[in-house]
Amino acid sequence: MIRILAWILLWLPVAALPGHRMDMDSMVMNENPTRLPQGCAEIAGDRTITVRAGRKYAKPFPGVVFAYDRQSWEVAPCTRLTVRFINEDHIRHQFMVHGLPPDLYPMGMFTIEVSGPGEETASFILPPYKKTYLVHCDIAQHTEHGMKAQLKVAGGDGDLASLPGLTKPVRPDRYPSRWTGRSLLLLALALFAGMALIWLGRWLIRAMTEDRP
Amino acid sequence: MQRRGKIYGAVGILLFCAVLDVAADIPPPSVSEVGKSAKEPFCPPERPAEWRDAQKIDGVEIQEERVCLPDNPYAVAAFVKGTNNVSMPTLMKTRLAADSIIKRNDRDGDGDPDEIIIKLEVAELNGASPDTTEPVHTFAIAPGIRPAFWVFAPKVRGMATKDEHSTEANPLLRVPSPVIRVEQGDTVRIVLENTHYFPHTIHLHGVDHPFVDAKGEGNDGVPQTSEGFILPGGKRVYEITPRQPGTMIYHCHVQTHTHLAMGLIGMFVVEENRPDNWVQTFNVGAGKVRHPSRAVLERYDQEYDLQYQAVDKELHEIVQSSNDPRVIARRMNREYDLTDATEDYFLLNGRSFPYTLRESLIVVEPDQNVKLRMLNAQGELLAVHTHGHKATITHYDGIEVNPAAQITRDIFDMAPAQRLDLKLTTTNDGLHNYGPGIWVFHDHVERGITTDGMNPGGNISAIVYKSYLGADDVPKLQGIDLSRYFDTAFYRRQMPVWQDIDEWDSLGDPDARQAEAAESADGETRKRSPLRHLLLGLLLGFLAYILFTNRERGRELFCQYVLGRK
Ligand SMILES: [Cu+2]
Ligand SMILES: [Cu+2]
Repeated sequence: MIRILAWILLWLPVAALPGHRMDMDSMVMNENPTRLPQGCAEIAGDRTITVRAGRKYAKPFPGVVFAYDRQSWEVAPCTRLTVRFINEDHIRHQFMVHGLPPDLYPMGMFTIEVSGPGEETASFILPPYKKTYLVHCDIAQHTEHGMKAQLKVAGGDGDLASLPGLTKPVRPDRYPSRWTGRSLLLLALALFAGMALIWLGRWLIRAMTEDRP
Repeated sequence: MQRRGKIYGAVGILLFCAVLDVAADIPPPSVSEVGKSAKEPFCPPERPAEWRDAQKIDGVEIQEERVCLPDNPYAVAAFVKGTNNVSMPTLMKTRLAADSIIKRNDRDGDGDPDEIIIKLEVAELNGASPDTTEPVHTFAIAPGIRPAFWVFAPKVRGMATKDEHSTEANPLLRVPSPVIRVEQGDTVRIVLENTHYFPHTIHLHGVDHPFVDAKGEGNDGVPQTSEGFILPGGKRVYEITPRQPGTMIYHCHVQTHTHLAMGLIGMFVVEENRPDNWVQTFNVGAGKVRHPSRAVLERYDQEYDLQYQAVDKELHEIVQSSNDPRVIARRMNREYDLTDATEDYFLLNGRSFPYTLRESLIVVEPDQNVKLRMLNAQGELLAVHTHGHKATITHYDGIEVNPAAQITRDIFDMAPAQRLDLKLTTTNDGLHNYGPGIWVFHDHVERGITTDGMNPGGNISAIVYKSYLGADDVPKLQGIDLSRYFDTAFYRRQMPVWQDIDEWDSLGDPDARQAEAAESADGETRKRSPLRHLLLGLLLGFLAYILFTNRERGRELFCQYVLGRK
């Protein structure tokens, strides 16, 4: 009994940190269901999105390993967005938003982390201005391998790069060439065409420079 | 006819150049070396100096660690008590997940927990990104050198970087894979949560483990004989109750020839059973054990874990060459040939000299007994030499040598995967020690003291007597200024090793002055690519050829327009 009490007392300080929750299964950072961002007179509306994360959502995208079930969301300014984040893998995943006003969201972030199969829900209020926010899972190589999305407020200010199925990467991959009979034939043809062109060019130069009787 | 032959020759050469040019463009953008010459201080003010002190956190005694970059003592406290028992303020001063280490159930009533759950993730360091050509989650082994690594890591929470502005990895994600410590007789569940994009497993090398667990599932980590792969996003629990103590290993057994070299190997220490024995479950970055076990403290004043490993840069570059795991798999599993490989970088506890001096010093006082546990995680033989000391080999591969037959020597040779436990005595008797000082210890297979062939580098570190520690716990070195080694230019071979050896730089580069002047004049070093020279040469040759074959016409034109006569 004393042990349990002591344990509760030890863990209590988490509750004291505003917007922070943490237990064995999940963690929420910078939850904010009440405080209005600068420029919002009131909460414009409530909206809930369900976000699923897992390896299986990468299946439609060749070369991608982890993904969310959607790569882009649009919301109206000053919306209170409630995110129900469902992790369908046996590892950690995160729903992490960057670029929020740091006065309300320390380091400009809002984070839900679910430490294994399970879910967690939390809300935050979006600022009024037109902006595209980065949403990703910041576990090493998860963003890089597909767990990346965007949240557009008031239409957003552009699209982010390398969103699976939506946008191109900044640094695209180079793939090894496959040598088939056809490509070899094409190569040979191109070689001959090149030689013919050079021969033609040379003939032209000669025709122009050589004196003719 | 001959003329036509010449034309074909020229065309051929041109085509060859084009192909060369393309080929030069294709290889992986593997350059994991940072930009221009950048000097770094010996001890960057990264971590609070108080972390070095001996202290007590949540009732856990933590020994001092007098080095520039000590372990986070709060993390040490969490490793000892378990993330489920440590206080919340302490846990918040670490980056550990709440379920990282669970310790509970004192079955035998001896005052320490006997049921341990350890969660591991797999992190990639210095990996590629589709959004930048620079490596991400960086970890430098030496100034400017960042090969890609895969490591096992304690389960963490939040960002994988140091902070939101940095690309540097969270300090818990680092090379080597953390040392794991458990107590003999504990029931330990090692949970591998595969956060990486490739399959992995854990093989508990030398640790007493049944081939199958209670449920009949494979427990040996070998995908071909005991179990399948742990795929990305999946997990597996390895269950053991080790009956024998000793210094052992854990490593991945998927494509072992590459996964091990990529960094998926760490020490696994089973400590002897004692009452009230809370062991430090993780030793992140290896090095000093700040909360040694009861059994170790009975015989020793201090304990250090030393993991030696090596990097073949060609292997580690593959990971940085693509974002598509299928391409990386192809290059790593089918194109890379380990039998043609050579190791280039040599690490002690994840770093090469001079970075070893920031965190892998063995700091001692006279008349101490220090326990060293060494692992050779390299691909080839290692022969560690300790200057100023002869140590005694007490254990081979975790098994004690008959005390009467124990050998005292100054070279400790280890085959790959071998472990040695050493007793280092700092008694100044001319045998065990020749007195206080700054005594280096390093591999005597000499490539091991280089970084890709540049010396000094590799796994050089030092045994430093406390009387030789100066301000900010920097050793009072008596030789040359070390700042040249804390410079990316040194390991990029851009600096003469003996630069400014005397007033008139008698052993510097012959053209150093001119080069320096030119550099400062146009702001940056001109690229001197051999390919560019080749292309320029070919172009000039081609022009010369045209001129030569049309020399008659050329002479006519020259006479007509320059000399003005017909
Ligand atoms: Cu994730
Ligand atoms: Cu592996």
